[in-house]
Amino acid sequence: MRRTIALTLSSTRDLFSGSNEAGLMILAKIITLGKGLLFNVLGFGVLVGIWYIVSLITKEALPTPVATFSVFWELVKDPFYDYGPNDKGIGLQLGSSIVRVFSGFLLGAMIAIPMGLLIGASSFCKKMFYPIVQVLKPVSPLAWFPIGLVAFESASKATIFIIFITSLWPTLINTAFGVASLPSDHKNVAKAFGFSRWKYLTKVLLPYSFPHIITGLRLSIGVAWLVIVAGEMLSGGIGIGFFVWDSWNALSLEKVISAILIIGIVGLILDKGFSWLEKKVTYEA
Amino acid sequence: MISIQNIEIAFNTPKGKFVAVKDINLEIKKGEIVSIIGHSGCGKSTILNAVSGMVFPTKGKVLLNNKEVKGPGPDRGIVFQNYSLLPWLNVEENIYQAVDAALPSKTKTDKRDLVEKYLRMVNLWDHREKHPKQISGGMKQRTAIARAFAIDPDVLLLDEPFGALDALTKGSLHIELLKMWNLTQRSKTIVMVTHDIEEAIFLSDRIVVMNNGPAATIREIEEVHLPRPRNKKEIVNLEEYKIIRERLLNLLMDKVEIDEEDFYKEKAA
Repeated sequence: MRRTIALTLSSTRDLFSGSNEAGLMILAKIITLGKGLLFNVLGFGVLVGIWYIVSLITKEALPTPVATFSVFWELVKDPFYDYGPNDKGIGLQLGSSIVRVFSGFLLGAMIAIPMGLLIGASSFCKKMFYPIVQVLKPVSPLAWFPIGLVAFESASKATIFIIFITSLWPTLINTAFGVASLPSDHKNVAKAFGFSRWKYLTKVLLPYSFPHIITGLRLSIGVAWLVIVAGEMLSGGIGIGFFVWDSWNALSLEKVISAILIIGIVGLILDKGFSWLEKKVTYEA
Repeated sequence: MISIQNIEIAFNTPKGKFVAVKDINLEIKKGEIVSIIGHSGCGKSTILNAVSGMVFPTKGKVLLNNKEVKGPGPDRGIVFQNYSLLPWLNVEENIYQAVDAALPSKTKTDKRDLVEKYLRMVNLWDHREKHPKQISGGMKQRTAIARAFAIDPDVLLLDEPFGALDALTKGSLHIELLKMWNLTQRSKTIVMVTHDIEEAIFLSDRIVVMNNGPAATIREIEEVHLPRPRNKKEIVNLEEYKIIRERLLNLLMDKVEIDEEDFYKEKAA
């Protein structure tokens, strides 16, 4: 990366001798950015090419890119229409999925962060609760769906429940890890100057583990977004997962592929958002 | 003032009991500067930690103003070797949080004033908004020293405070430390752990020389009668300085020079 900047800098310097350094820097950046974008487009181009070949070979059992993109365009052109319970725009479906994911995710975080702090800070709590985490963590969140149904008597709430369960583990484990890795130097400062429990929590423990907690949240939202699609296939009603299943039942693979694209893009945006937050809260030691 | 009475400090390890230091007896008067010097792993820091209340002696006891030390307290300010500033707080907040925790009876304005006073003493007032990553090692240690002084303790405990600094910075920080000590009417007792002989002589009234561990004991206590205020350049020419330095070198190093024989062996190989 750095090498490309240097190269473009030296080549552009020859072209624009006389213009100022800052201008050159910006130009170099644009060129690097453009190059990066070119590679991205190239990668997608190869993918679409293979897709096209496969759809030709299968005699369009797999819809062609062109057919898919026209359906995709139909979907995103009018995302918020509502023609009754079985025919809603993609924006509404997506919106309801996002609301569910965030409700489950926030509930999960509210439990996972304090639990993580406890497990990380006290070896007693770790011995008591960590085995439970280890047993429950590998369970597919979908296995909790029936329990959610019994508990809440509503498929929609049961979906939120499985998202809640899903989001618990990465946040809890990362928080606990962050807290447990607090350097003894920092602990000694708190001890030496007689920090109160509250001061220790707010000025030492939380600031130190904050980046770890955000990493946990990022992993949690990632898994939650994976699980919501499967969850909504089970629950039905509304949501992007239901939309995929419904499109399959309507034999519209074009819609399914469009939905896959949209799910991927939303997942990417969620991840980027949390990465940005992660960078924001990371202090340099 | 500080009275260390026949302490032994042992740790439980998987291999059994490990005795770090034993039979340590030491009386330190108010306003005295005492260095503990010895090789790595001789338990110097362990003794300091017993005074700070971070570790507890397995035998004997440490008295501070005739009261047994039962844990860390605001009557003792500690300067750690690796500065131990909290990286997410700026210089001013690092000191303020310590003052706030150690002196709960003071008002907020008083605490802020204290922080300013000590930051000015170490010439860091202009850098108060910077975070530890933005300042040099010497500035970090000045912050740590200001933090330890700011809680106005009777005793200052310094654990190899200048060990990680280059020689020039070290020299200026010695002066800085003595300046702080003078500005507080030489009333603060300072106990410092070091492995630097020159540093120990320049700063201390007495130097405690340790034997090698495990189960290290005090080998000898050297008195330093050099007049104060001391001048770095001048004291090195004083006869007493040379004598003490010689004695400490002999105590700490078995061999002061390389054998000729070793030299020839090296050449042949």
